[in-house]
Amino acid sequence: MPKATQYKTNSVIYFQGDVGDKIFILKAGKVLSKSNDIETKEEINELVAPGEFFGVKSALGRYPRDETALVLSDSEVLVFTVPEFEQLVLSNTRIIMKMLKVFSNQLRRMHGKVQNLIGHGTAKDAEAGLYSIGEYYFTNRQYKPAVHALTRYLTLYPSGRYAAQASDLARKAGQGVAQSDSTALFAAAGADDEPDFRPPTPAPVATPVAGPSDPSAAKGFFEAVALANQEKYLEAFKIFQKIVTTNADPEHSAKSEFEMGRCLVFLTKYDEAVKHLTALIQKYPKHPDLKDALYFIGRSYQGKNDMTWARNFFQKILNLAAEDEPVAIKTRKALKELEGAKA
Amino acid sequence: MSLDLSVFNRFAITKRAGEIIFCEFEPGDAFYLIQSGKVKIVKIVGDLEKTLDILNPGEFFGEMALLEEAPRSATTIALTDVKLLEFNRANFEVLMQGQPQIVLNLLKLFAKRIYDQKRRFMILTLDDIQARVADVFLMLDENGAKPSDPADNSRVFPNSVEDIAHWAGVSVAKASETLKQFANQRRVEIHQNKIVVKNIMDFTRFVKSKRQE
Repeated sequence: MPKATQYKTNSVIYFQGDVGDKIFILKAGKVLSKSNDIETKEEINELVAPGEFFGVKSALGRYPRDETALVLSDSEVLVFTVPEFEQLVLSNTRIIMKMLKVFSNQLRRMHGKVQNLIGHGTAKDAEAGLYSIGEYYFTNRQYKPAVHALTRYLTLYPSGRYAAQASDLARKAGQGVAQSDSTALFAAAGADDEPDFRPPTPAPVATPVAGPSDPSAAKGFFEAVALANQEKYLEAFKIFQKIVTTNADPEHSAKSEFEMGRCLVFLTKYDEAVKHLTALIQKYPKHPDLKDALYFIGRSYQGKNDMTWARNFFQKILNLAAEDEPVAIKTRKALKELEGAKA
Repeated sequence: MSLDLSVFNRFAITKRAGEIIFCEFEPGDAFYLIQSGKVKIVKIVGDLEKTLDILNPGEFFGEMALLEEAPRSATTIALTDVKLLEFNRANFEVLMQGQPQIVLNLLKLFAKRIYDQKRRFMILTLDDIQARVADVFLMLDENGAKPSDPADNSRVFPNSVEDIAHWAGVSVAKASETLKQFANQRRVEIHQNKIVVKNIMDFTRFVKSKRQE
């Protein structure tokens, strides 16, 4: 049972640097938490709100108190041992969630400060970083991780800066995997106990919690992206279509739907492309390739010689996209072409 | 872990040894609990794959993604065949309702990680490189097992020069040079696979004096 304890004015519940295993709730009175900012050393004084826990992090983590808890006026405090505290929060999970948010926030801020000090704060952008990981594993002949990293790259950035190199390396890495272990790629989703040499059959009903990593969808997707990069749009279209119909993996399905539209444009099936991409935007209003989808709708209208609608779509992208985004650069170029055609 | 996790089987995924679970720089939207097997956390620094940690059943990883979809800060690879539970924000609530003990463990992990990051920050804000390296040993000592004889001030660390360089935030060459200075002063001994600090209290005093400067 937690103990109710009385503290007199000017007494100290614990000092900064103490190691303690007690957790407190202020029931009545006034308690001040005094600490120093880790960067500026500035003193931070915060009043503990009535009903609020204090001393949680250091007691749970078993490390020295960050702050001194000073009693400003006679106070009543409930004192918990860690097991007592655990019992309480397990029956009131809202408290855990609330604390998890506070801790996560503090952790993120501390992590950021450390990263700044070691100079990773200004690290390379995520796109280049992800590609460089694929490249690293490929160079070191670790083909399985290479395939994973490059496939993820191509999934996230199908028309990214390194897409051409990535699909080339991914293909070579895929051959490397096939040579060293022909079953490796397929085995991932197999049975736990015995090796499964068959490719996994996608579940007939999509289970949203199954995760974004159905390897057959991912592998198919990257193969199709590679085909599209070789301008084999019809073959690519068919694979993307299959991924969408099977719908074993929501992430790759959504990506594939966009890629189908892109293939249609390159196949000069402009009407189908407009229809497909418009439906895509309605289905996924937050699709990561939304702006690119608009771009390809614009391109389709341009292909149909409907310059007014083409211009409308291109303008819309420029309103949505940042100045230096690749899609904005492509769009400005396309608009210039339109103006040139008119002149 | 003695908890009954069978209700979470629908969140279970398996990976074969050598497979990547997630890559550094990928957007993160899920965190993982290891049910069986081992997972290594690596980062590619320059042209070397550096192992930051090896995790065992019952441990979490990727938890930073819980409240923010920030890019992953490291790559995780299955060291053996592994069985994992994968939780994203949407099914986190299910976990909370069904197995609050796991979420409480996560809370404890966060408390520890916040402290570790603060401790690391304290090391990195020392300007004096010798003090930084000495403080790395103090940190490793705080996290390590306590000696059986409290009067024994010598400590053996199973760490490499690369480890020390990593924690001190300096190049391996710089860390090696600093360790040699300590060795010349007979404060440390550098062996093949361990480093001996002759008197840990000497390092405590040294770091304290530098921190007050």
